[in-house]
Amino acid sequence: MTAAYRIAFVYSAAFALAILVLATAVYLGADAEYRHQQDLAIAEENAALVREFHEGGLPDLSKAIAKRQARSVVNAYAYAVFDRSGRRVTGALETTRPEAGSHDIVFSDAREGADPARALATDLAGGYRLVVARDTEALWQIDRTILLLFGGAFIVVIAMGAAGALILGGYLRNRLSGIHHAAMAIIAGDLQQRVPLAQGNDEFDQVGRALNMMLDRIGQLMENLRQVSSDVAHDLRTPLLRLRSQLEQVGTEEGAAARAIEQGDALLTLFAAILRIAEIESGALARNFLPTDLSALTTDMAESFAPAFADDGRLLTWTVDPGLVVIGDRTLLAQAIINLLDNTTRHTPGGTTVDIRLSGNPDLVFLSVADDGPGVPVTEHQRIFQRFVRCEVSRTTPGNGLGLSLVAAVATAHAGRVAIEDDTAGFCLTMTLPRIGAQD
Amino acid sequence: MHHVMRVLLVEDDSETARFVEAGLQGHGHDVTVAADGRDALRIGGEESFDAIVLDRMLPGLAGLDVLRGLRAREIPVPVLMLTAMGGVLDRVDGLEAGADDYLVKPFELVELMARLNALGRRPPLAESTTRLEVGSLMMNLLRREVSWGGTLIFLQPREFGLLEQLMRHAGEVVTRTMFLEKVWNLDFDPQTNIVESHLSRLRAKLRDVSGEDRIETVRGAGYRMRSNS
Repeated sequence: MTAAYRIAFVYSAAFALAILVLATAVYLGADAEYRHQQDLAIAEENAALVREFHEGGLPDLSKAIAKRQARSVVNAYAYAVFDRSGRRVTGALETTRPEAGSHDIVFSDAREGADPARALATDLAGGYRLVVARDTEALWQIDRTILLLFGGAFIVVIAMGAAGALILGGYLRNRLSGIHHAAMAIIAGDLQQRVPLAQGNDEFDQVGRALNMMLDRIGQLMENLRQVSSDVAHDLRTPLLRLRSQLEQVGTEEGAAARAIEQGDALLTLFAAILRIAEIESGALARNFLPTDLSALTTDMAESFAPAFADDGRLLTWTVDPGLVVIGDRTLLAQAIINLLDNTTRHTPGGTTVDIRLSGNPDLVFLSVADDGPGVPVTEHQRIFQRFVRCEVSRTTPGNGLGLSLVAAVATAHAGRVAIEDDTAGFCLTMTLPRIGAQD
Repeated sequence: MHHVMRVLLVEDDSETARFVEAGLQGHGHDVTVAADGRDALRIGGEESFDAIVLDRMLPGLAGLDVLRGLRAREIPVPVLMLTAMGGVLDRVDGLEAGADDYLVKPFELVELMARLNALGRRPPLAESTTRLEVGSLMMNLLRREVSWGGTLIFLQPREFGLLEQLMRHAGEVVTRTMFLEKVWNLDFDPQTNIVESHLSRLRAKLRDVSGEDRIETVRGAGYRMRSNS
């Protein structure tokens, strides 16, 4: 049985039980109360007749009984007076002489045969015994009505419970089947499958949305992992083969060992870069993020690199607006800036001017690195952030094609993005990051 | 040039252990090798060392746990962690567990030696020192001033930082990565020549005033300031 059916079943069973308890209480209460009232009425009738006997003896009593019997169409009472020998001397109640006190008796009715009744027998002077009885038919009527009413209610509750269980169960099963089917499809290998969402925003939609977000995140992580493995598989082959051939030359060629070590170092650097990008893209670093003064960091980097640029015959200039703070990791942001600067030195000729510009609006911070070098064809702009992508013109310069991938990964990890400006003469990259208020 | 140290080397890879042990002994250090985390914790607790070189991935007990164990017993020996894991978080974890320095494999032996020397002589030269003096060269850390024989030398902030490191470790090698960490607060190697370009300017300024070059380039290792006159 499904959970939904079980819940609905338990609910209707509980309701049915409540009705049962209520019915029992009402039945017993009404029954007892009616019997009590009946005994009181019989006792009153009995007392009235006893008074008649005291006033006028048996003749008056007989007269009173006869009078009451005459209007017994509306009077539910029956009467009898027995003498000492048990013979009925007056009254129409067809029964044997009962003991004194209250009894349930059976009398024989002329029309209906044996009939149960409630009787009160009182001893009178002279050995007479007066019996006043009342047909208990009315009690049975009341009892039956109560039972019928509650029986009907009970059946209705059971029916409504069953219908509710079916409807609720069907609804839940229907809503959950989307999630179930999506899960089964994903297990079967269709990782693109997502939980279908209804228009509303009920609990099912919320769970569905949360599941879809989780699946997206898992998908990203898997893609990340897949990318790393394929990078390692494909793009490390070439340097490894080169290393191998250099090792073969060790002993026969001067300087081969040094070149092999250099090649090994380059490989390890490449590995570190791949793993670093993977680490950044995993999002785990966010737990270390702190408010970071990007203005101070940018100035620090610019001042640090200016001499190196000058040594290479380039000019580094910078314009940094103060007090621009982002939430992030100083090491990663520094590495992104370094990679951007490194990128310009790799791909521009001597004499190039490189300009760093840091500015902001109330919500965002813009970090641009622009140069007046040869630039990059617009057709290459889309590919430039992919791993190991190196433009045709830069095939011959050193580099592993990971520098800008890392910049893009850092920007994404900081909820920002990086883009190439189309309308500049040289090459200009802008990293946009969310800004937070001054450090407080 | 440097004093002899008792070093506990904890490394499970026998090839690396032999290589590092030979290197340390070659520099005259007294080396004890442990290949297992539990042994390391036991030996480190029983004997007294000037420094521990601790690999992060070990059988028996992980390097981080050995480190926490030592720190929990209030053994203050300087610990240099070695790791094949170069992730940002790995480094954070290591330093939080109480490591004094952190070196990512593969490393040059000279890098390890330079860092060990820096660790081993940490106590005699406290961070709170306000004046450094090497030969006629004087550095006032509070006023951020450098003078040679009474003549002030004007340095850019990063040049000052480089010189401070060289003077703190006078007579010893200071590597590129140590400069990057101390002066630039960068715990990774950006693979650029910022250290070299600032250092060449520093040297030129010192040479202009003093007419001598006390800073030596140690090939494949880093730089050293001659301490004797």
